[in-house]
Amino acid sequence: MNAQTPSSAASRLTGALLAPVRYLAGIIDLPLRGLQKVTGLTGMASFFLLPNMAIFTIFVLLPLIMNVIYSMTGGTAIFLDSRTFVGAEQYSRLLDCGSYLDSGTCAEDRFWIATSNTAWFVLLQVPLLLVVALVTALVLNRELKARSFWRAVFFFPVLLSPVVVGLIWRWILQRQGLLNLMLFETVGAQPHTWLTDRFWAFAAAIGVSIWAHVGFYALILLAGLQAIPKDIYEAAEMDGTRPSRVFWRITLPLLMPNLLVVLVLALIRAVQVFDEVYVLTGGGPGTSTMYLIQYIFETGFASQLRNPGLAAAASILMGLVLVVLTLVQLGISRTNERKGQR
Amino acid sequence: MSRITLNKLGKSYGQVHVLKDIDLDIVDGELMVFVGPSGCGKSTLLRQIAGLDRPTSGEIRIDGRLVNNVPAADRGLAMVFQSYALYPHMSVRQNLAFGLENARLPRAEIDSRITEAARMLEIGQLLERRPGQLSGGQRQRVAIGRAIVRNPTAFLLDEPLSNLDAELRISTRAELAALHARLGTTMIYVTHDQVEAMTLAHRIVVLRGGQIEQIGAPLELYNKPANRFVAGFIGAPRMNFLECGADGNALVLPGGHTLNKAVPAKGKVTLGIRPQHVKLAANDMGTVPAEVTLVEALGSETVVHTMAAGNQPLLLTLEGQHKVTAGEKVHLKFDDDRLHLFDVEGLRLN
Repeated sequence: MNAQTPSSAASRLTGALLAPVRYLAGIIDLPLRGLQKVTGLTGMASFFLLPNMAIFTIFVLLPLIMNVIYSMTGGTAIFLDSRTFVGAEQYSRLLDCGSYLDSGTCAEDRFWIATSNTAWFVLLQVPLLLVVALVTALVLNRELKARSFWRAVFFFPVLLSPVVVGLIWRWILQRQGLLNLMLFETVGAQPHTWLTDRFWAFAAAIGVSIWAHVGFYALILLAGLQAIPKDIYEAAEMDGTRPSRVFWRITLPLLMPNLLVVLVLALIRAVQVFDEVYVLTGGGPGTSTMYLIQYIFETGFASQLRNPGLAAAASILMGLVLVVLTLVQLGISRTNERKGQR
Repeated sequence: MSRITLNKLGKSYGQVHVLKDIDLDIVDGELMVFVGPSGCGKSTLLRQIAGLDRPTSGEIRIDGRLVNNVPAADRGLAMVFQSYALYPHMSVRQNLAFGLENARLPRAEIDSRITEAARMLEIGQLLERRPGQLSGGQRQRVAIGRAIVRNPTAFLLDEPLSNLDAELRISTRAELAALHARLGTTMIYVTHDQVEAMTLAHRIVVLRGGQIEQIGAPLELYNKPANRFVAGFIGAPRMNFLECGADGNALVLPGGHTLNKAVPAKGKVTLGIRPQHVKLAANDMGTVPAEVTLVEALGSETVVHTMAAGNQPLLLTLEGQHKVTAGEKVHLKFDDDRLHLFDVEGLRLN
């Protein structure tokens, strides 16, 4: 009797599973060999890159080119063949201002309101986010009980969809929301209209975006903190360094490369603020929380008198700002790499 | 200068006892070396003295003052770390000044101390560079400089040469010895390298499993190891050990050969003999037969690996160059005055 050993059974199973692959490989082997004869080895590399290049072209490059073309056309029609070429007229309209500090003097005042709101948002949210992320990272870097749990807690909002973030906080902050209920139950406070008050709505937009993203930045800073050798802190301890001086003279300078990366990433993200705030406030009250992306979206698609050309021009201008910030980030990364190599 | 005394010092992490009842008295100006294999507790012991860790039990006294709960910076000690632990974003000058600024010394005093340390260590030309722009040897000097400028009562050095290449290690070792002679300050030096320990120490503490195996001057440890562990750890190549029988007047080697030697015990004993104390003999009178398995000709000496006395590995180091080949049958002569005997517990008998 022939006893079947486990190894021979396994090899038979592997052979059976691989059979279709071998069959397919056999089918495409001949044409591929033929193609290589025609194109050569470097030509084959291009052939295999083709699918990715096609995806990049269809979903990134073509829309980019079309956006530039749209920004030089006028009218409300969606399809390009129905639109008229207007040159730089859309850009002129966007940039036509009596004073750039007063949106009321601008031809397209909503664009400048959105720009001003975005600038204020960036100026307030980014430094606050940096401080909160740094404090969070410093706390999570300590010897805490259930440290992994706390790290997960702070990172969890990053995993949520921005729409979900917006909905959660709207549920908390609306007039009949959880916050007002808690304030009434605890101190008997009358309900406050957090999301319809200009100041509080702006503060809520900043607070919610910090809550949603701080985990990601704290994680980058935490990695930086953990990369600082323990010996250096022990040397500082032997040197009799006060804790505050340890922070300012050792931790902060050694964390600076990570802080710069976080700063630039947070800047880019803040300029692009939209989804969670749009769900939370809808840009209101009035236009007090309307930011650039919302302006572009509404101008191009959501307003009754839509103007895709103007939206495209605004997005190109915003894109230029993002390109500058990205170049700054690349510069910082390269400088850090060079420092690391030294 | 200072005297450091440890009384029944212990350190545990949960159920793991890293240090057990350490008693030690390090006198003023002494260069004491802690040596032992990895995980023996030597660095942990140094960290307790430094104040970077708190002991679980026992006392640490510096010049008679109990310092168990005194912060590291207030113990008057300076430490040189294995990794040097220089502040990478500061220049050498800033590294040296940092501790002095913490102590709020006047600027003139800080500058004067830095200048003096830089002159002593010949790092004057490096003061404006950052650690990343220095070689390993230069970083090591800066780390020592950072300790010197604090005018400590004792230096603690945690494997300071382990990151240097072999050649630099030898020259820096000599410089450290010269520095100690010049400063006259108490130094505690941790190493796993017994050659470093032998060449630098006034006294050596051999540690194993968190306990002291022996304390003594280097040659005392070499000539009279208290137990089999110390005998094997001190000396290179390590001591040969042969399991023998003893009847009071002779040792019976594995394979049946006997050595006439008064043995203060009967039954099983371990015979220890250093490779330098075994010679090749011209005849078989009072010798042990062996077969050469490997010859390492180093020029100034020849290391011969053999299988002897009932097929046990036995190493001998011969001065100069010898024509011995692998596979050759030889006779080995043990130096009777250099035999070490250990009982079944591993404790010295003779």
